[in-house]
Amino acid sequence: MGLTPDMQAALGRLTLRNPIMVAAGTFGYGVEYRDLVDLSELGAVVTRSLTLTPRMGNPPPRVAETPAGMLNAIGLQNDGVDAFIIETLPRLREAGATVIASVAGETLEEYVQVAAKLSRAEGVAALELNLSCPNQARGGMEFGVQPELTAQVVAAVRQATDLPLIAKLSPNGGEIAPAAQAAVAAGAEAICLINTLLGVAVDAHRRQFRLASKVGGLSGPAVKPIAQYHLWRVRQSLPDTPLIGVGGVSSAEDAIEFILLGAHAVQIGTANYVQPTIALEIVQGLRDYLTTHGFPSVDAIRGLVQ
Amino acid sequence: MTLPVAAQVHFVPMTRYELPAVVVEHRQRATNQYELILHAPPIAARAAPGQFVMLRPMRTHAPLWRRPYSILRANPDKGVFSVFYSVQSAFTELLALKPIGSTVQTLGPLGSYFVPVRTARRHILVAGGVGAPPLYFFASRLMPTLQAGEQILILAGARRRDLLVGLDEFRALGAEVRIATDDGSHGYKGYVTDLLQHVLETDPTDAAVYACGPNRMLQVVAHICLERGAPCQVSLDAPMPCGMGVCLGCAVKVATPDGGVWYKRACVEGPVFRAEELVWD
Repeated sequence: MGLTPDMQAALGRLTLRNPIMVAAGTFGYGVEYRDLVDLSELGAVVTRSLTLTPRMGNPPPRVAETPAGMLNAIGLQNDGVDAFIIETLPRLREAGATVIASVAGETLEEYVQVAAKLSRAEGVAALELNLSCPNQARGGMEFGVQPELTAQVVAAVRQATDLPLIAKLSPNGGEIAPAAQAAVAAGAEAICLINTLLGVAVDAHRRQFRLASKVGGLSGPAVKPIAQYHLWRVRQSLPDTPLIGVGGVSSAEDAIEFILLGAHAVQIGTANYVQPTIALEIVQGLRDYLTTHGFPSVDAIRGLVQ
Repeated sequence: MTLPVAAQVHFVPMTRYELPAVVVEHRQRATNQYELILHAPPIAARAAPGQFVMLRPMRTHAPLWRRPYSILRANPDKGVFSVFYSVQSAFTELLALKPIGSTVQTLGPLGSYFVPVRTARRHILVAGGVGAPPLYFFASRLMPTLQAGEQILILAGARRRDLLVGLDEFRALGAEVRIATDDGSHGYKGYVTDLLQHVLETDPTDAAVYACGPNRMLQVVAHICLERGAPCQVSLDAPMPCGMGVCLGCAVKVATPDGGVWYKRACVEGPVFRAEELVWD
């Protein structure tokens, strides 16, 4: 007894010190949390989605609280991939973070160019293709819900980089398995699911939408059963592909549920806003769970719930 | 190479603390209105007027978000600070239920703060409704630093008399207080911005304006000040899921030096902005 469980998570060529990551867009560029969280203790930091040129994002209000969740329509505001590589990436490396860069675009060509720049930079461990952002007028989600487009983007990016590729997919097109299979066939090494669900919120007193762009993406504890459903379904159709579960994870128990359903790793999203240290608490909670129940590794519990 | 404006500001320079603050007292100030006194020495020591804290009294999923509260006063010697709240939502009901001696998870102090304009002789603080607390904190820190001939003038406005906050305390500081209510139930009948217009009519050159209240009021305040050439700082309200500069929910449109526009964050670059920087839609 008293053996420390093996926390490593292997996602194809990408090996993480533990399976707990912070999700794209919910941890800023990562550096904003440096004073509150030891980034080197996380499995990985997934950055805000990066585009070829700076994006201003959508007009406010951009966020609305909903029952056990929230809607956002940030619109991929970011400083562009060049500023990230020059300004931010060195600070993330200095902090000891394992960096997964989230790549977004309006066109296939934009994904390719952003990915190419990131793969020339020092210190990026993998790329996560955001094929699922619901808050873009063009690109984003449409690439992730039509399997033939998914395959085209992944294949094109695959040509432009040697880095491990993760495809982050959307639940808004129905079943995710077809797009997941297309992504894997085109060269994605892991699938991340789910991105936010389309939703609206209405202000009854002002008689208007609560988001300026009307439609946003729903996240938070409310979406956890949906995320777990999709994880479980995709696990059935892709039994050997590394899967990263994300959606409503707010505790170690939530993360363990995803792993039991077949996730190789788990991302924490909205919960970071409410409790900035939650990801580290989940790492410790997972370690405690394995120790308490006598499991030698994270791998030992993966997929136990079929 | 020139980096975009946002790239130069997204690092968080302030010292902030994530800690469980201990509830010292819920001091009733009016019907349904309380001053929550919290013991958290690091936050009390560093809080500056205009800054805020994120409070989480519960570990519930609904309500989910923490809430930002402007700091009303801070006593570094006693290690306490306080915020003002009205019981009017599920969140504030949970806050009100916190027993003395229990803890409220707190992140702070956060954001920018009011900076005294040292060339001004008249410091005009425009408080709309629940915008009063950070201005009270500012007045209390500013008052002891005033030189001969300098004065603080409080212009306080609300829809009704019972929604005016902290008038006696402003007066106790020795500040002159003028009041406006929409329904005329106390002071001038009309908007507090009418009072500001009147005050700046005589001589705007010796005045500096600091304002907090509804954004519509702040827009008018900013407009009046820009028109008359009075320096003006406003504290903006915005929905704020994280308070840490990461979610970009609290976007505020600003003018950039190159003549364009960009979104800054009310929680990091704000909540206090210089009026000339803001772009109102």
